[in-house]
Amino acid sequence: MKVSLHWLKSYVALDASVDEITHAITFLGFEVEQVIRTGVPPLPSVVVGEVLTRDKHPNADKLTVCTVDVGSAGGVKTIVCGAPNHQVGDRVPVALPGAVLAGGLKIKQSRIRGQLSDGMMCSPDELGLGGGSAGQQSGLLILDGRPALGTPINDVLPPGDVVFDLEITPNRPDGLCHLGVARELAAWFRRDLVYPPVKFTGLPEDSPERRDLLAGVSVESDEDCPLYTVHIITGVKIGPSPAWLQERLAAVGLRPINNVVDAGNYVMLETGQPVHAFDAKKIGGGRIVVRHARQGEKLATLDGKERVLNSRMLVIADATKPLVIAGIMGGANAEVDDTTTDLALEVAYFKPAGIRWTSRKLGLTTDSSYRYERGVDPHTLLEDAHRAIDLILETAGGRVVGPVYKVGEDRPWKNEITLTPDFVRRQLGFHIADGDMKDALEALELPLVRDEFTADGTPQWTVSIPSWRGDLDRSIDLVEEILRLYGTDRIPRSTVTAPGLLGDDDPVVIFNRQATDYLVGQHFHECVNYTLRSVTEIRQWVSDTSVQELALANPFVEDQSHLRSTLLIGLLESLKLNQSRGTGVTRLSETGRVFIESNGQIYECAAAAFIEAQTKDAGRQWLKRAPADFYTAKNRVHILASHAGVDLSALPAAPVTGPYFGWQEGHSAAVGGLQTHGFEARFGLMNLAMVRALGIEGQVMAGIFAILPGKLAAAGGPRRYQDFSHYPPVLRDLALVVDAAVLAEDVRHTLAQTAKSVVGDAFTVEQVAIFDVYQGRGLPEGKKSLAFSLVFRATDRTLTDDEVNAAFAKIQKAITADGRTSVRA
Amino acid sequence: MQDQLSALLARARADFSALHTRPEFEAAKARLVGPNGGLTTLMKQMGTVPKEQRPALGRLINEAKAQLQALFDTTLRALEDAEIAAQLGPPVDASLPSPDGGPGTHHPLTLVCEEMCRILRKVGFTVADGSEVETEFYCFDALNTPPGHPSRDVKDTFYFPDTARFGNVSRRVDGEKYLLRTHTSSVQIRTMLKHPPPVRIVSPGRTFRRDTTDATHSANFHQLECLYVDKDVTVRDLKALLDYIFASLLGPDTKTRFRPHYFGYTEPSFEVDLSARHLPKVNKEWIEIGGCGMVDPSVYEAVGYDPAAWTGYAFGMGLERLAMMLYGIDDIRYFYQNDLRFLRQFA
Repeated sequence: MKVSLHWLKSYVALDASVDEITHAITFLGFEVEQVIRTGVPPLPSVVVGEVLTRDKHPNADKLTVCTVDVGSAGGVKTIVCGAPNHQVGDRVPVALPGAVLAGGLKIKQSRIRGQLSDGMMCSPDELGLGGGSAGQQSGLLILDGRPALGTPINDVLPPGDVVFDLEITPNRPDGLCHLGVARELAAWFRRDLVYPPVKFTGLPEDSPERRDLLAGVSVESDEDCPLYTVHIITGVKIGPSPAWLQERLAAVGLRPINNVVDAGNYVMLETGQPVHAFDAKKIGGGRIVVRHARQGEKLATLDGKERVLNSRMLVIADATKPLVIAGIMGGANAEVDDTTTDLALEVAYFKPAGIRWTSRKLGLTTDSSYRYERGVDPHTLLEDAHRAIDLILETAGGRVVGPVYKVGEDRPWKNEITLTPDFVRRQLGFHIADGDMKDALEALELPLVRDEFTADGTPQWTVSIPSWRGDLDRSIDLVEEILRLYGTDRIPRSTVTAPGLLGDDDPVVIFNRQATDYLVGQHFHECVNYTLRSVTEIRQWVSDTSVQELALANPFVEDQSHLRSTLLIGLLESLKLNQSRGTGVTRLSETGRVFIESNGQIYECAAAAFIEAQTKDAGRQWLKRAPADFYTAKNRVHILASHAGVDLSALPAAPVTGPYFGWQEGHSAAVGGLQTHGFEARFGLMNLAMVRALGIEGQVMAGIFAILPGKLAAAGGPRRYQDFSHYPPVLRDLALVVDAAVLAEDVRHTLAQTAKSVVGDAFTVEQVAIFDVYQGRGLPEGKKSLAFSLVFRATDRTLTDDEVNAAFAKIQKAITADGRTSVRA
Repeated sequence: MQDQLSALLARARADFSALHTRPEFEAAKARLVGPNGGLTTLMKQMGTVPKEQRPALGRLINEAKAQLQALFDTTLRALEDAEIAAQLGPPVDASLPSPDGGPGTHHPLTLVCEEMCRILRKVGFTVADGSEVETEFYCFDALNTPPGHPSRDVKDTFYFPDTARFGNVSRRVDGEKYLLRTHTSSVQIRTMLKHPPPVRIVSPGRTFRRDTTDATHSANFHQLECLYVDKDVTVRDLKALLDYIFASLLGPDTKTRFRPHYFGYTEPSFEVDLSARHLPKVNKEWIEIGGCGMVDPSVYEAVGYDPAAWTGYAFGMGLERLAMMLYGIDDIRYFYQNDLRFLRQFA
């Protein structure tokens, strides 16, 4: 919202500088987005002069040497000038040595190409009159009306103004007008606020009734319009409003229209109360009805658009048709125009919610709707109507006639808050004297109506809250008022005190940090990708069923319509971007929330993921390294899971198939499940065709571990020391031949179980580990050999070869008993 | 005997100089000092020597033994050196780069977030976390943002359809809508509902607003919020925290200032400005960094804290904005593109 300094000064005597006022507004709690200067700023030593002679500069084609008479300000001066437009006899602004122009240029006596120049004649731009470069080109400002020589230029040209563009917080609708801002500044600078004079204070007793102009006003929806007033003014003469009024409106960006409309706008900008004038003769049937629009009803609004209304929108109608979208914009059909002589002047209160809804629905925001949305003060409504009448009578003539229509409640306002100065000090944490508090409250027009003592002898104040401060309701609200006026810059410095509270970082936070640290330690580059993905990606990389479950109701852009259920899509996108830009990256990682569908519900999970690209270029190294493979990915996912307190090695790894798309069958695996375990892991080679279709070069090894936050919290537990043997181990190797299709882990597991049952309590089988896998020559077709190393140990003695050999023989016998497994010779 | 010894030593020297392997060495050694070795044989002859000659002969033998031992030692050392040299291969060219890549990098948002959390942990905050999908109660109602409030509008907040089912995001009110949280204050509400006061938490995380993405706006961004509720927490304490945070982050002469402002969930409320002298690419004296205030009593009522007994403060800021300020980054979209040339600059 724009406010003019010149305008503000009609309510409060401000002598502070613009910087001081800007600072004041800022620290009163309103953001100053821009300070705009208009008109001519004070320019001492710039006076009116007349060009007496004009000769070409002997040493420069484009310059002239002039003699200029500045009269009492210094007589005749010689001035070198570069402008093209001045003629002998023109009166122009002359900056004398010592002047400082609008752009900061200091004028002094100087020599220009050998010619003395004793000042400067000025263009509009140099005076701060704006006009930009166009003004510069057109040359000097030639003054109209032959003002007296030597007159200070500020006496000739319109005074400058400063316009503040303010951002008013939503709790302060009272700040959406000049009086409101002036009230705050008056409080800040401790000046009196001067209200505009009031002439019309109500309809005189002897006024005639002109029901022929308006026979009646009815409000059908008092829910949305609790108070509606109409005054009738007859005999107005429509014309342009006076210059002072036009200037004020123009200063804050409003286009002057005519005296009646301008007067209404002026009152709105002064008091915050929107005012609407109808041409009384255009009100069909002589009746005003405040009602909901009929579904589909149309109205051509003043902006030249046809609006289709619905039954939730409030309109001001006559007997047959809508005239105004209530509180938002008038229709062309009851507009005040040059022929208007009789007015129906509406000053009303509409509820914020209805206006907001209608304004959004129609995509139509106006100065009026903006103020109604935030809330106008219904308790000053009649005074504001009177102010509008004063201005209309002053600028358009006419007289007010009866009847005055006032429909709805006009309940008297009263609100009081009790406050103890101790409460204020307790909230603030530092000392403010009682007197300073009272001073702040009174400056803000929050008078103390009672100053008493409570039963325990402490002072207690009762503060009266004016109707325009609906935001003040509790004693804490007054703490803010006092602090605002006292000054937030006076909060004393102190140190932070920190109580030792129990508790630790959330397990998800710890997991994310550990997972990221691990992956970064493995040369991964941590990425951050958007949570919202496109429907195409979800369908391709996740599943068809998830498409519905993950969808937003109101996406903003098409490619961000669904929650991500994996981090891998984003990582692939980052990989693609890096490949296309030739950055040479291969390892990318991310931690964050993913949304996984399971049994018809979405579960928000913590997740960590990585991808590792194998490209031809990546192999171009002077020293070759083995590329990452399935087992590299598997190991990384196992380590990630361990940071979540999960041991994946204890669980079977199943080939990835089915609804979780994106993986290469036969080269990828899944462990766990959200429903069964509360976590799930996937790792291996990403689907080659899909990766290629994305435009990514090479193969991508990847892994992701996702876990329910609740499950993460439950992981871990107290650690307990277990004693270990001090005796040496005994090792035996055993190679088994099995069907090629049998999973190695199944064989290993069976062997370990067998070994344990054979050995029993005699000693322990410490480890059964695979150390070789072989398939090919020397083995029957369809068979493979798995070699295991077995480690035996006793807790109480050194094992003898004999006892281990006996056990080892039994193990071999037992493991081959099924007939499908044989010992490789 | 003396001649025999001399000959034996001479032969030994010749033999050992031609040795290349340990087995050869062991065999040659055995030929001299083994059970049937040359020296052993000579020593056995001692018995046959007249008694008076024995001391002199003994001396000779001992000398020969010592010389042999020295020969063994040198030879063995030479063999070991040769073995090690064979294991090592030619010396490395230390100027060649390692093919192993690295280092990895933490994302700048992680770095900034971690730095803030580290600073706050020192003064007793713990890091809280919560769901990104939220409900109207936790994101709005409990934060004094009633239905109809502009920030709840479907134009500004992402909602889910009424049919959406989230298995592990609890609703407070039957049938309330799910949405993407617009701030991490919802974590504060969930924390306060779960834990009685005092609480002292910092909640960083992803937040979402239905906003056009450009150089300074992102529909998906990160926030960090602090909450402290205890007995007698004051505005002065809040100011002290902000001074502490930014002095820790930017140096001891960094200043903050409070501009009165309005937020529904705090009263009084302030916007926080930071003295910008140390920051790159800033031509202003002060730069806005976040919002804060004393927790509004209505929030305590929503979570069941007694507003008469407890006071507290809250502070929130955008992490992208902070990172942009700290590092002089001028486009928020760079955070989400993950170009390696961007990521590498902050490691």
